[in-house]
Amino acid sequence: MKLLLIEDEKELAHSITEYLAKENYLCESVEKYEDAVEKINLYQYDCIIVDITLPGGSGLNIIRELKHNKSETGIIIISAKNSLDDKITGLEIGADDYLTKPFHLPELNARIKSVIRRRSFGGKNEIIFDEIKILPDQLEVTVHDQLIILTKKEYDLLIFFLANKDRVVTREAIAEHLWGDGMDSVDSFDFLYTHIKNLRKKIMEKGGNDYIHTIYGIGYKFSSAL
Amino acid sequence: MKLLTKTSRYYIFISVIVFIISGLIFFRLLNNIFDRQLDNTLFEEKLLIEESINFSDSVPDFRSVFGHMIDITILIAPHKKVEWIRDTVMYDNVKGEFASFRHLFVKNTSIKKQGYIINIYKPLRESENLIAEIMIAISLLFISLLFLLILVNYFISRRVWIPFYRTLNTLSQYEINQDTSLKLTSTDIYEFKLLNNALERMSKKIRQDYNNLKEFNENAAHELQTPLAIIKSKLELLIQSEELDEHQFQLISSVFEATSRMAKLNQGLLLISKIDNNQFPQTEQVNLITLIEKTLIHFAEIIEIRNISVTTDFIGPVTLKMNTTLAEILITNLISNAVKHNIPSGSIHITVNQETLTIYNSGNQLQTDPQRLFERFRKSDHHSDSVGLGLSIVQKITHLYNMRVEYTYNNLTHSLKIYF
Repeated sequence: MKLLLIEDEKELAHSITEYLAKENYLCESVEKYEDAVEKINLYQYDCIIVDITLPGGSGLNIIRELKHNKSETGIIIISAKNSLDDKITGLEIGADDYLTKPFHLPELNARIKSVIRRRSFGGKNEIIFDEIKILPDQLEVTVHDQLIILTKKEYDLLIFFLANKDRVVTREAIAEHLWGDGMDSVDSFDFLYTHIKNLRKKIMEKGGNDYIHTIYGIGYKFSSAL
Repeated sequence: MKLLTKTSRYYIFISVIVFIISGLIFFRLLNNIFDRQLDNTLFEEKLLIEESINFSDSVPDFRSVFGHMIDITILIAPHKKVEWIRDTVMYDNVKGEFASFRHLFVKNTSIKKQGYIINIYKPLRESENLIAEIMIAISLLFISLLFLLILVNYFISRRVWIPFYRTLNTLSQYEINQDTSLKLTSTDIYEFKLLNNALERMSKKIRQDYNNLKEFNENAAHELQTPLAIIKSKLELLIQSEELDEHQFQLISSVFEATSRMAKLNQGLLLISKIDNNQFPQTEQVNLITLIEKTLIHFAEIIEIRNISVTTDFIGPVTLKMNTTLAEILITNLISNAVKHNIPSGSIHITVNQETLTIYNSGNQLQTDPQRLFERFRKSDHHSDSVGLGLSIVQKITHLYNMRVEYTYNNLTHSLKIYF
């Protein structure tokens, strides 16, 4: 998988590439508008993560350029501007997703995976993790080939965990993924605990392993290793 | 009181006082003139009488000559000369009533060594009538003058103050946060020209300061986003490290929490400055009841966990013309507030009708002054988790759409009422 990150803030770009590197993505990073335009015209990417405000031009123009080239690349906008207009324009001209800064790296990771999954038409659309199999198109989850019934929140939680497997994910990142940022964190941690407990129970009932590890008051890690 | 009324009142007040004083002076002057004239006549008559007594030894019937009362008495013994003149009231035989007379009294011995007392009475009626007529004429003149003065003053004032009222009108409609600078219509009156110039200069300065401040607020909040994003992302990378022990995780967790609060605070401030900067210009018809129901579903989990009972009383479809995003923020903040400051197993009651939206929630009494509830960073201490901007944002949004928000507390129930 080849990704292109177009972000003028060096430190943030470092964080993102470092986080994504562990996913076995080939993640390139450019800071300037012109460099970005050059790259997208030279190479083919699976997904492009683009900031709207760039030195030299608007990230929206890069999306227009991609669409003009009839590119199949997935596009995720990351913007410091929490502006509905930008969001609407971005999505209208063909972006797949829009994330407002500051965002959680696991969130970006999950969104990239979701975009790539939706874009890969040829292959079978399924997520497999040991004995757990998810068919996102059917919203079906099986453990040892036995169907388990999850609530919407539990399903989202599982997808989010699998997108960020083997990583420590903060409670805050999960809560924000499930409820948006309007929710009070202390309260959402309470229900998060309930949802995680239920999800763990449902997987283990069908003979699945306990994959969800609690990490000292900071978050959780979904991992087969201990 | 209007300027015109005020000046007119002064005009009338001063004119009336001046008239009364000058009228009194004029009246006295007129009286004096008439009296002197009368006195001269009386003395002339006295001389005539004295002369005729000197010549004829007898006292002729002067009454038939002069046509008014004359009384002459001959004294036996000689006397010192006494002569005075004054007004008196006595019975007028001619008219058959009491009337005012000018009375000349002379006691004299110079005539033929014999004493005389001469009393001459001349009726004042005529001069009194004359004075009265003159005074009436003068009064009429004064009243018409006063009336004219007021009328002229009124029209002149209206004309002269037109530029002032125009300026006032423009000024009262002007808002410092609108796009254009203050433009006042020019005038040829020097003072108003000065006033307009001063106002334009001042508003320009205020606008500049206001815009600078707004820009600063927004830029500051905006520029903070990036470092916050970097801190968050670095922390997220840091916790992936295999070597961290529990204590280190705890430290990072605290940094995380503080960063999140800062990010939330910053988002709130950014939102407030965006509302101030009118960055939510597009409005739509928002169905309030649907919005509330949607928001309640969003909060359903926490409401259930806290065992809060929610009741609603919606009358009608109620639509508000406002920005969708702001409407959502408004309702979310209100409901979140009602949930957050509730007690376990408490209650929330929401009523909506065409004029008002009210959210009642059970809860302990406020620790802070209710008057200052809507100020920024005003929060009750036990909820250190909230950043204290929620109600401030509520107020900003309601102000933007000319709504009024009111807080009351009684019987362990907080209520926030919004008048559309």
